Amino acid sequence: MSFLFGGGNRSVEGSVDPAKIEMAVAELDMITDVFNRLVNSCHTKCIASTPNNHRYVEGDLLKGESVCIDRCTAKFFEVNKKVGERMSAMGSAAQASGSFGR
Amino acid sequence: MALPMPTTMPLLAPIYLPGQEPLPPGTSDWEKQEMQTALKYQKYLGMAMESCPLKVTLSGGAGFALGGFFSLMSATFAYEDPLSRASTQLSTRAQTMFVFKEMGRNMWSSGKGFAKVGAIYSGVECCIEGYRAKNDITNAVSAGFLSGAILARSSGLKAAIGGGVAFAAFSGAIDLYLRKEPSE
Repeated sequence: MSFLFGGGNRSVEGSVDPAKIEMAVAELDMITDVFNRLVNSCHTKCIASTPNNHRYVEGDLLKGESVCIDRCTAKFFEVNKKVGERMSAMGSAAQASGSFGR
Repeated sequence: MALPMPTTMPLLAPIYLPGQEPLPPGTSDWEKQEMQTALKYQKYLGMAMESCPLKVTLSGGAGFALGGFFSLMSATFAYEDPLSRASTQLSTRAQTMFVFKEMGRNMWSSGKGFAKVGAIYSGVECCIEGYRAKNDITNAVSAGFLSGAILARSSGLKAAIGGGVAFAAFSGAIDLYLRKEPSE
């Protein structure tokens, strides 16, 4: 992109839109954040609930651990979806009522 | 502003869209498809290795082999009565065949018994662990109790409970030993 004149003139065919790049970056950050939270909470719940004196028995996931991780991720996404729906409902209600009160 | 690549934030998980993982620059589309199918079959194989039916068959096979081996070793203590009818009427070759057949029959039945024990215990423990989603000692103890009770079900209630308790103690002891920390 160094051959384009001016920093903001990006309306040439085939060039990328900086606003879209910003959105993609923000979305990737969100996805990575969700993934890391999921990994942390399901690891704490299923694999090493006592991080100070936990001993890893073997390198592979034990059967109980893998079942627990399946259920943990399903619950995580379920709760995530419900919280997102609730918050969007709250947000639209606040918008509709002109943000009276809370 | 460049997209954040994994090397600039080393402790975060690298998330890529499914078709856009960074592969070496020369991989063709066919190679990418082959990699995808290889990963898929690897996942299926991993699922099969951790599944309960495979564990049951492996434990049953191991029990069968162990029971056959024990019976083979104990066949050395079986002797042929020199005054029985078989040793006077049959030739040496027929007697030998008879001994071997008897040994085979005993090995088969003993192997079946051990295979039953191993398969039932392994199946019950796998199911309990899959249900509880935890990995601790109570899986082994309750699986031992249930399989002891199942194996002794035809001898009445008290015998079943006693057998269950005994098998639970035995399998709990073995699992405790297997779970001990190595002394290093």
